[in-house]
Amino acid sequence: MSRILVTGMGVISSIGNSVAENRMSLVEGKSGISILDVFNSKYSGRLPVGEIKTATGSLREKLGANEPGVTRTTLLALHAFDEAISDSGLTNIQLSSIDTALVGASTVGGMCLTDELYHDANKDADGSEYLYSYDCGSVNMYLQQRYAMSGIVNTINTACSSSANAIMYGARLIKNCLAKRVIVGGTDSLAKFTINGFNALHILSDEVCIPFDRDRKGLNLGEGAAFLVLEREEDIVDKKIYAQISGYSNTNDSYHPSSLSENGDGPYLAMQAALRFAKLDVSQVSFINAHGTGTENNDEVESRAMLRLFEKPPAFSSTKSNIGHTLGASGAIEAVYSVLNLAHQELYPGLNFTNPIPSTGLIPVLAYKKMPLQHVMSNSFGFGGNCSSLIFSKA
Amino acid sequence: MFYIHQNTCISPQHTFLNVDIEELRESVDNKLAVIEPGYEGIPPGILRRMGKAVRIGVGAALPLVKQVDVDGIIIGTANGGMEDCIKFLNQIIQYGEGMLTPGNFVQSTPNAIAAQVGLLTANKGYNITHVHRGLAFENALLDAAMLLRENPAGQYLLGAVDEISAYNYNIDHLAGWFKKGNFSSRDLFLTESAGTLAGEGSAMFIVNNNAMTAEAFVQDANTLHTDNEQDVAARLQYFLEKNLANGDEIDLLLSGENGDSRFKKYFEMCESILAKNVQVARFKHMSGEYATASSMALWLGCRVLKEQQLPRHMIEIYTTKKAYKRILIYNNYKGNQHSFILLTKP
Repeated sequence: MSRILVTGMGVISSIGNSVAENRMSLVEGKSGISILDVFNSKYSGRLPVGEIKTATGSLREKLGANEPGVTRTTLLALHAFDEAISDSGLTNIQLSSIDTALVGASTVGGMCLTDELYHDANKDADGSEYLYSYDCGSVNMYLQQRYAMSGIVNTINTACSSSANAIMYGARLIKNCLAKRVIVGGTDSLAKFTINGFNALHILSDEVCIPFDRDRKGLNLGEGAAFLVLEREEDIVDKKIYAQISGYSNTNDSYHPSSLSENGDGPYLAMQAALRFAKLDVSQVSFINAHGTGTENNDEVESRAMLRLFEKPPAFSSTKSNIGHTLGASGAIEAVYSVLNLAHQELYPGLNFTNPIPSTGLIPVLAYKKMPLQHVMSNSFGFGGNCSSLIFSKA
Repeated sequence: MFYIHQNTCISPQHTFLNVDIEELRESVDNKLAVIEPGYEGIPPGILRRMGKAVRIGVGAALPLVKQVDVDGIIIGTANGGMEDCIKFLNQIIQYGEGMLTPGNFVQSTPNAIAAQVGLLTANKGYNITHVHRGLAFENALLDAAMLLRENPAGQYLLGAVDEISAYNYNIDHLAGWFKKGNFSSRDLFLTESAGTLAGEGSAMFIVNNNAMTAEAFVQDANTLHTDNEQDVAARLQYFLEKNLANGDEIDLLLSGENGDSRFKKYFEMCESILAKNVQVARFKHMSGEYATASSMALWLGCRVLKEQQLPRHMIEIYTTKKAYKRILIYNNYKGNQHSFILLTKP
């Protein structure tokens, strides 16, 4: 079986509207965490979030997405999708071919429109333009229609590991000869639903998040989207190749609906299974883009799982200190960042860190550095114990 | 693709435990709501916190995963626990984003069903939730097929769940998906009007590569997004050519027709492509319409292959048959998501 390679990427987040802008911000150690402003909520003006400061109307205009019912979640996806397909040079004929698949993830979908949804779900007349837009599937239904895609189209929701699973499903479609090329990723926008949900669980920080720090207080929510184009090596002629996807896994922690087990069985098994799939030894991992949400539970458990598996863990950090937790988009955005690590042979500084967690003593990468990187692991863990790890390798 | 072994179905009909699909339960207030079982095996404290989607999903899955160990749990659901979702949403609006309780939020995430099955059976294997609206179950089925190629000795729980909630009922009602006026599911196929009836259900299957004692073999499946019936016809022709050897015929078309006059053309097109003497049966008067209703069709297909008969109320076109060996399920959701599943007798 030929290798599966990344030939195109697109990303939009609170630190940039393109892959190039995101990379510059990562190199410079820039944070996209700011006070909630564009999105209207009770928490506007006081909650730190990774918000994209472009209004939904401007996004719609920029992308020429003027059909009724297009949500911010879909617009962010379209923004990243367009960049990825243009970066990979996919033609419209390739996009609409039966052997091109689309696998996207979202946890919020059109529920970012909380007030419209409330109206449409409770009133018996006067429906809004968003009647078809609330479910998670609406995002990829839009992309499918816009590009007349006729291959397999899927949407995955495993909470915060959703888009890691979308990438995995896409790679497996290629391996199983159900597609020749896949466009995989995820999207989520800020929503009252998630802000209030995470707030009710008491895991939102009222300050900037500090992943892996002793004094961490919780996560910052973020928004964004990313897509990657994956193709078989044998089909690629004269194309830029960013990296190879060499491993992936999906396991379940099977412990609690909204927190990880003390020993981190799910994260441990996910990392171990991805390594086994890639036929790699623990010593061969150059860097881990950790899930690192900044919550009490996640960072300690993930640290413990890394110590269990690696004994001496490789360099690691969490880019959630730059963009917050983008939920259904995070696996895909962090996959793009992991591929950038490899493509440029560089590590980006984790932000805001001061003191290690006493019981684990692990310290993330704190300064930009060039270094030879062969294999980069990216972790995504979600509610429901849904744990996934991806491994990208130097092409 | 793979073999289906033990299977369960919680639906608006008598499909769980004491199965009797001859007797037809009718819709009430234009909804076909499931008959909920007693849920033995779910601890009462946990059961109380579950919304209906999680309850019927876990309720159908547990009897299976208690009998056999599985390497993973694969669920398709367009919406998951939307009743909890709307409860949490109502809290947000009514309390002006004040101090809220997180229970409904956690239960409302679509992956809560697969997660709960994993949790209750301490299953640390593959665990996923496909949510691609009317093709959520078909993508789950494809996932199972891939897993069984990657891990040929494996065994998986494959299933689907969707519920009628205030959320999706009201929104789909506003969008014109349901028939107006009071209406019985018995008359679903007798009208020439737009709209269908709301339904819900869950179906669960143990799948592996073992032909011994299997109830059915899923030979192939294919999905398509389009609103053009010619595209559907072309895909069906391709699917039949790929999967039927010379002389083989489909013995039964299990049609997802839902009484909505706007979508009749797709079903008529498919019937016209199949052999003239094909038998056609329908099931949406039993299940109602929901995004993952094709999972109930798969459950019914398994039953027909096993029992070699089906109730009269399902039959649209009757032709005398020696035996049911090959069943084609064709479903479409809202006219733009289409699927074909070919089911054969092992």
